[in-house]
Amino acid sequence: MSLSEKLMEHLQVKGFMIGDFSIPQSVVVTWGIMAFLTIAGFLLTRNLQVVPATKRQIYVETAVTGIYAILEGILGKEGKRYVPYLATVLLYLGISNIIGIFGVTPPTKDLNTTAALAIMSIILIEFAGIRQKGIKGFLKSFAEPLPLLVPLNIMEIFIRPLSLCMRLFGNVLGAFILMELIKAVVPIGVPVLFSLYFDLFDGCLQAYIFVFLTALFIKEAIE
Amino acid sequence: MSLVVIGAGIAVLTGLGAGIGIGIATSGATEAIARQPEAADKINKTFLLGCALAEATAIYGLLIALVILFLK
Repeated sequence: MSLSEKLMEHLQVKGFMIGDFSIPQSVVVTWGIMAFLTIAGFLLTRNLQVVPATKRQIYVETAVTGIYAILEGILGKEGKRYVPYLATVLLYLGISNIIGIFGVTPPTKDLNTTAALAIMSIILIEFAGIRQKGIKGFLKSFAEPLPLLVPLNIMEIFIRPLSLCMRLFGNVLGAFILMELIKAVVPIGVPVLFSLYFDLFDGCLQAYIFVFLTALFIKEAIE
Repeated sequence: MSLVVIGAGIAVLTGLGAGIGIGIATSGATEAIARQPEAADKINKTFLLGCALAEATAIYGLLIALVILFLK
């Protein structure tokens, strides 16, 4: 029974008390990620030149162009303006899923983080639809392809963020529980191998899938 | 207690469907890439989307099992 109690303890949202306020751990870790990304962004983009002279600029340009190419390939020309937001979410999710390797609790293990991201995504999706088609066209799009499907299309507004949020949270949590179980059976050596798969591969894959699905829904909304 | 654990076990059976689904998707994707290697990028995208959607059912099963176990 001790294992399930240990897991239960990990599932609860921990917080730091400052005065009367409790600040969840995920928020504090997110501040750390924000600071890291801001400083990295500042340091990497200093002294940029039209003709790249440093290796640093060449690497950064390759990475940025690569991310832009992937997202633009999904969104098309009209959705180009949503690429910076999606790239930011991709970087944040990628880092917050990988951070578990360094012994920090990933913020995505907190349901509130993934729920907030999913709500932001669905607002962006509907906003993109309204912006592209106007209010009238947006309302009309609910009756497509058949007027009979209106309730289903309305339900989709709630199901999409729920599914986005639960997929990310469930994957991170499931990986975490499996890791705890593996550690309980074989404490040395073996967990490292599995940690590579769960933290590195699965973390990156889930970050990509979250952004990919959001981009796909935006593309569908602006078509 | 034992019945609760059995219930959680039944909920995790959703993984069965997800596994079969992802297996079928992978077999289709490999076949498609073998036939048309130049379309690998597009096939990969569709494949990942299908996997994400198939996997969602397994994740729901896992979450429900956890809810049954811990929040009963």
